[in-house]
Amino acid sequence: MEQPPDTPRIGVDEWVASVEGKRERYTGPRGAVLKRWERLPPAARVLVFATPAAVFPFLTSGGNLFRYGLFTLVYALLALGLNIVVGFAGLLDLGYVAFFGCGAYMYAILASPQFGNHWQAEAAIPVVVVFTAVVGLLVGLPSRRLLGDYLAILTLFFGQAFVVFVNNANRISFPFVGHADLTGGANGIANIDPFNFFGYRIDSTRKQYYLLLIAVALVLILLMFVNESRTGRAWRALREDPLAAEVMSIPVNRLKLLAFVFGAAVAGLTGAIYGTIATAALPGDYDVGLLITVYAIMILGGFGSIMGIVVGAMIVNNIPKLLHSSANARPLFYGTILLAILVKLRPWRLLAAELGGLVAFGFAIHGIASAAYPRLVDGESIGSGVSARALDHWMLFPKNPVKIADVAYILLVAAIVVYPQLSRVWRAVLLPPLLYLVMFVWENLLLVHIGGATRLILLGAMLVALMNIRPQGLFGTATVEIA
Amino acid sequence: MTGDATLLELKELDKSFGGLRVIADLDMVVKEHEIVSVIGPNGAGKTTLFNLITGIYRPDSGEIQLDGRNLVGMAPHKITELGIARTFQTLRLFLNMTVKENVMAAQYGHTKVGVLRSMVRTPGARREEKEIHRLAEEKLGFFGDRLMGYRWDQFAYSLSYANRRRLEIARAMATQARILLLDEPAAGMNPRETHEITELIGKLRDDGGYTILVIEHDMHVVEGISDRVVALDHGVKIAEGSFEAVATDPRVVEAYLGLRKTETK
Amino acid sequence: MNWSLFFDLTVSGLTLGSLYALIALGYSLVYGILKLLNFAHGDVYMIGAFLGWYALHALGGPVNPTFTGAVVLFLMFVVAMLGCGVLGVAIERFAYRPLRNAPRIAPLISALGVSIFLQNSALLIFGAAFRDYDTFDLIGVKTYNIGQLFFSVPQLLTVVAAIGLMVALTLFVARSRLGKAMRSTSFDREAASMMGIDVDRVISVTFFIGSALAGAAGVMFALVFGQIYHFMGFIAGLKGFTAAVLGGIGSIPGAMVGGLIVGLAESYATGYLPQGSTFQNLYVFALLILVILIRPSGLFGKAAISKV
Repeated sequence: MEQPPDTPRIGVDEWVASVEGKRERYTGPRGAVLKRWERLPPAARVLVFATPAAVFPFLTSGGNLFRYGLFTLVYALLALGLNIVVGFAGLLDLGYVAFFGCGAYMYAILASPQFGNHWQAEAAIPVVVVFTAVVGLLVGLPSRRLLGDYLAILTLFFGQAFVVFVNNANRISFPFVGHADLTGGANGIANIDPFNFFGYRIDSTRKQYYLLLIAVALVLILLMFVNESRTGRAWRALREDPLAAEVMSIPVNRLKLLAFVFGAAVAGLTGAIYGTIATAALPGDYDVGLLITVYAIMILGGFGSIMGIVVGAMIVNNIPKLLHSSANARPLFYGTILLAILVKLRPWRLLAAELGGLVAFGFAIHGIASAAYPRLVDGESIGSGVSARALDHWMLFPKNPVKIADVAYILLVAAIVVYPQLSRVWRAVLLPPLLYLVMFVWENLLLVHIGGATRLILLGAMLVALMNIRPQGLFGTATVEIA
Repeated sequence: MTGDATLLELKELDKSFGGLRVIADLDMVVKEHEIVSVIGPNGAGKTTLFNLITGIYRPDSGEIQLDGRNLVGMAPHKITELGIARTFQTLRLFLNMTVKENVMAAQYGHTKVGVLRSMVRTPGARREEKEIHRLAEEKLGFFGDRLMGYRWDQFAYSLSYANRRRLEIARAMATQARILLLDEPAAGMNPRETHEITELIGKLRDDGGYTILVIEHDMHVVEGISDRVVALDHGVKIAEGSFEAVATDPRVVEAYLGLRKTETK
Repeated sequence: MNWSLFFDLTVSGLTLGSLYALIALGYSLVYGILKLLNFAHGDVYMIGAFLGWYALHALGGPVNPTFTGAVVLFLMFVVAMLGCGVLGVAIERFAYRPLRNAPRIAPLISALGVSIFLQNSALLIFGAAFRDYDTFDLIGVKTYNIGQLFFSVPQLLTVVAAIGLMVALTLFVARSRLGKAMRSTSFDREAASMMGIDVDRVISVTFFIGSALAGAAGVMFALVFGQIYHFMGFIAGLKGFTAAVLGGIGSIPGAMVGGLIVGLAESYATGYLPQGSTFQNLYVFALLILVILIRPSGLFGKAAISKV
């Protein structure tokens, strides 16, 4: 191939660099924003988040502040700690939630009627944080010898062991002390004191919100500083290649432990705060569901991306809560699907044909069913309003949907697994029925269980989908290799 | 230029993997400001030798002395801190870190600010951070404009092959090592780049003051740089001396070509 | 010493151990080939138990079965094993295969996603309540004994069937063409594919076999303990993995021995250690830590020499 003499050839490093340079450079309005963003000093970046968050309590009711604001911040703080262990140091810690639980229980022991202790917060919080850090150190010790998967299973077991322990610790007789109800067993520890800083009680939702906001902002800034320090670089180096890191004078084992300790400390702090919010420490709060939620936040935000985590927490906490009311759930669900189709399907003619096909398919099915199997259409959709009633004329709503919806659900899962394996033509043809099936399952099954299993089903599906599409998460730049 | 002081000394080094003796009874000396090349056919134990010196493997017996101090049993990061840094034949950069960060990360061993101090950015922490930046820039500057300017903020994965090799060397230099172990620094390079690397290794010794132990297959490079050449075969030292002496040594020729003398005629 | 307690614990330990061994085999096979910790494996086991339940009820239920007891049992196993096998293949296709060249954390997270998805799908469809197997009418409640060794039919069935399946698997891997392909793929996937081995197919077969074994284990569990629920896969998966690690992950005999050790340890802990019936899982956990710290590569695993 003829080439102009001035352009470097492929394979020569100038060429590679120039191509990469182009890729690195941001373009368009989005690029301008990203560029501006990267130039901001850490404190200013935190302000960008903290300012609207600080105004939020004045714009909303107490219930909404509790539901949306408080829990977003709890999740964000928790995920920030996890990010130290997994995102920075690349250690797959599946027992992380137990540290959160340790924090809550430790604070409960120090400040509740359980033992009659009522410590001041300024004394209790340091004790809780140091305690969980020490637990983190102990759990992290095997990480000196274990590689990723083994560490994962060991920590998963630890998380499980924690739940078993707090569930049953009310029955243990300790040496020297004798019998002591340490954790309240299955009933947990109730009536935890609110934080009491030198006599100032953090006892309203708004006060708790601001306390959390301060904690999140503080941890954010500290983490940004650490990330740009010798230790932060060493953590990332160890995540990239532990052996090369070790040979480059980085004491890998010590840094792994350090990551465990700091992650656990942040989780412990979050646990103590959560204990005062929930006013109770319950063994059921620290299970695998929470673990998955926190991982989803961290992954969605992007491994190692500190700011991404705050965004991830907003998404993962608030979307399921919005889903709780079917009035919100429908537009959210259908909006997402529509958006995915809009992005995926080109050209617009195909898109129009598919959507038209979907509408026609629905009417056809509904027509056939009301003529031949009236049982399939004699129910009605959840909710009221024009859209819900309009749906009744298009979607099938059996009076007793349980069995048929179960079958449809299994069919749907099978269909989604098979669908990507089909040829283009078949995929185009089968898209309308598939979408109709999705909507049928959604309307007749998932929407019914919106407060229960649906949330975690969607979360699980999202994790798998996200790993397929963008393994580094929404805001992550780096792919993370676990040690 | 070559001093007389012995810097690195291997004494009766032995290493086997599952009955296969990879390094056998090896004695070797590297003097200060010397460039020593290790040559030998594939599987001769060259890379294993590097892994033994840097503490990745532990020798079955024998001693490795740096300035008379035995290194056997020390953790690799400790050995690097004492002054031995290496590059990898297969290139093991921190790919998702920037070029400058790669070099900065390698300064962990000789810096001190702990995590708590860096969290609150004490004046001392800032000072040290500045020094880390300065040293990183200095080391990268060693390679002319190859790793300068806009490349500092590029991710290591975006570098060309030759620049990755250069960055590995810069990273090893940043550990403040006295001895650099270079594992096939010219592998996969075109003739022009190979020539540059040859010059660079000379410059590392002359301007940088490093002592260099290098594994290399390209005999032009070996000829161009070596004060002394050590030839290994099956973990045994079969020849040692100047390039000419080793290259014409019949045992070395045999090891490389795998021919028996009777068949060469 | 109370020998009758000891024998009882031994029998239940062997039964549990056989179950864990079957689950561990699935982990080990998959890990051997993909170096992937398949978190969803325990949930496949749970699905197997439910498939067995549905098969039982499709065949007339435990009280009025359509066929004789042995045939019904056999069909339950067939349905559970085939169903789980297909499920395993589907999981691999959908959640792991696209990530084969991604960083190693990606399939792990994907596996967590699949696990949580399966668990809650089961909750959605089967409900949160326990389901009873009620197979006493089918099999009978009689216990047999050899001397002081008392055992029930399901226990005997479990141990014998588990041993049978393991022998079959060992022979399959050692002798058959596909088994050899599996071994070479686990040794070096790239080289195997260059030697003309259809690696994708080998991986699919591996998932099928591993998942089918888990499905069988699910039915056996249900026969022995009588009750199933949607969350049963989590702890069983954990124990199965512990067994695989104890035995040396990637090793077939290791998985079997590891399973038996975990089962017996759990059983003896329940009987002999303080508050064992509450904390038996913690004792197993302690055992895991001990073994990992003393011998990270497990009892039968080979210490890997990392190539630098």
